[in-house]
Amino acid sequence: MSGRGARRALLGLAYFLASGVALAFLVLPVLAIFVHVSPGKLIDQLSNPVVTDALIVSLKTTVLAQALILLFGTPTAYLLASRRFPGRSLCVTLVELPLVLPPAVAGIGLLAAFGRFGLLGSTLGWFGIGLPFTQAAVTVAVAFVASPLYVRQAIAAFEAVDPNLVAASRTLGVGPARTFFRVVLPLARGGLIAGEALAFARGLGEFGATIMFAGSLEKVTQTLPLAIYAQFEVNFDVTLAISALLILISAALLISLKLASQWQPSTPTSHSRFGLLSWS
Amino acid sequence: MKRILVPLVVALAMATTAAAAPRVSGITVYAASSLTDVFPRIDPGPKYSFGASSTLAAQITQGAPADVFASANTTIPDQLFAKGLVQKPVVFTRNRLVLVVPTSNPAGIQSVYDLRKPGTKLVIAATAVPVGSYTLQVLKQMGLTASVLRNVVSRESDVRSVLSKVALGEADAGFVYSTDAKTVPGKVQVIKVPAWAQPKLTYAMAIVASSSNKAAAQRYISEILSKAGQAKMLAAGFLALPKKKTG
Repeated sequence: MSGRGARRALLGLAYFLASGVALAFLVLPVLAIFVHVSPGKLIDQLSNPVVTDALIVSLKTTVLAQALILLFGTPTAYLLASRRFPGRSLCVTLVELPLVLPPAVAGIGLLAAFGRFGLLGSTLGWFGIGLPFTQAAVTVAVAFVASPLYVRQAIAAFEAVDPNLVAASRTLGVGPARTFFRVVLPLARGGLIAGEALAFARGLGEFGATIMFAGSLEKVTQTLPLAIYAQFEVNFDVTLAISALLILISAALLISLKLASQWQPSTPTSHSRFGLLSWS
Repeated sequence: MKRILVPLVVALAMATTAAAAPRVSGITVYAASSLTDVFPRIDPGPKYSFGASSTLAAQITQGAPADVFASANTTIPDQLFAKGLVQKPVVFTRNRLVLVVPTSNPAGIQSVYDLRKPGTKLVIAATAVPVGSYTLQVLKQMGLTASVLRNVVSRESDVRSVLSKVALGEADAGFVYSTDAKTVPGKVQVIKVPAWAQPKLTYAMAIVASSSNKAAAQRYISEILSKAGQAKMLAAGFLALPKKKTG
């Protein structure tokens, strides 16, 4: 065997070992949750009121937050993808910032902004709105940390839409709104769904900002991750059951994300930004 | 005046730091959140991990590398002792439960009974946390369980989280230890819990069974129980140990 052949074999072995270690490391904690308790006991714990209450709170707040993210995030992403204006990259960076912020910082920020004595909090107080300790506060926290994931992906999806198709639609006399809904949105669909799935998963797992801004109260603000934290010292089996539940939901989201990316239309031939076109 | 005062304060600060020279090092102390300020003042030597006693106990049960466990009650160390996870616990201090409200007192609370007012935002600690269970004892003793628990807006994970929610002004009131209230001067008003409703509030500590440095752990416990250690506990507002019981 030549020296080169041996080196190549060694390199192959190194790749194999490294990926084996990496895979085992990433899979083991997830697997351990299911191995630690028998499936029967896991299912038993899922009917525990702590779990069902937290599941309802999580679903309500996450779904509402996602609706807000779609409603406000989609136009924001479209604007940032299709228009070139001074300060655009600053806007994109600001929109992305919550993505890299530590959740505890997000919690402090939300308190400083919307707390009773926060920047806007006192104004909200005038109208009799007190956010902290309410389900609305959980929704706000989730929307704050999860929206960048959607907006980021949505910008990329809108930028990937072939500008020629948009131009064609417009020259055929279709209005901008109709073009958006009939041409742009269907073409960007795959990317938008993928972004939304990521934002949903991040929102469902939100912990730090929620516990600081919304507190933790069963049936009101205690989401699944907060219930894990609260039950850790009370009943370890319940925390395992909630964790297993969250793994299943996250895995389902990930699979739907993979499927969504397959729906993505064939890659556009031109990468020029259709934002250079004018749409009046 | 300032000219004299500043060096004086600096000298004083230096003197207190010098007094608190590390004596026991190389061990990890798991201690209740309410001990966050006073323990490092008695000995800055060990590594500290502060949290709800119940959380720390759960971590020790899961094999956390602690040498000493100091809890805000006697129940949790006793349970760990029964499971063979810690050695025999010793009582080392006592505390008192108080009600705190933000200095601005937005809900106008003057006594524990005012917590019944509808719309009051009360924050307490989770039931598993010692201060949370003491809170429930007080409310039960005063016959306020149902009427006050209705106003609870959050069950926090430890006593310092309750305190910060009140100090920030987000919550209208919260139950904490009198020693915690002292750590945020000017931010909260303290309202006494009637003496007849005070639960027995005793702290116990123990050497963790899996500790690899039990001699140092024992030295640390002796240090807390020493005259100097107890003096610092008293200075922080903790209560003196009851006189030695017979038998």
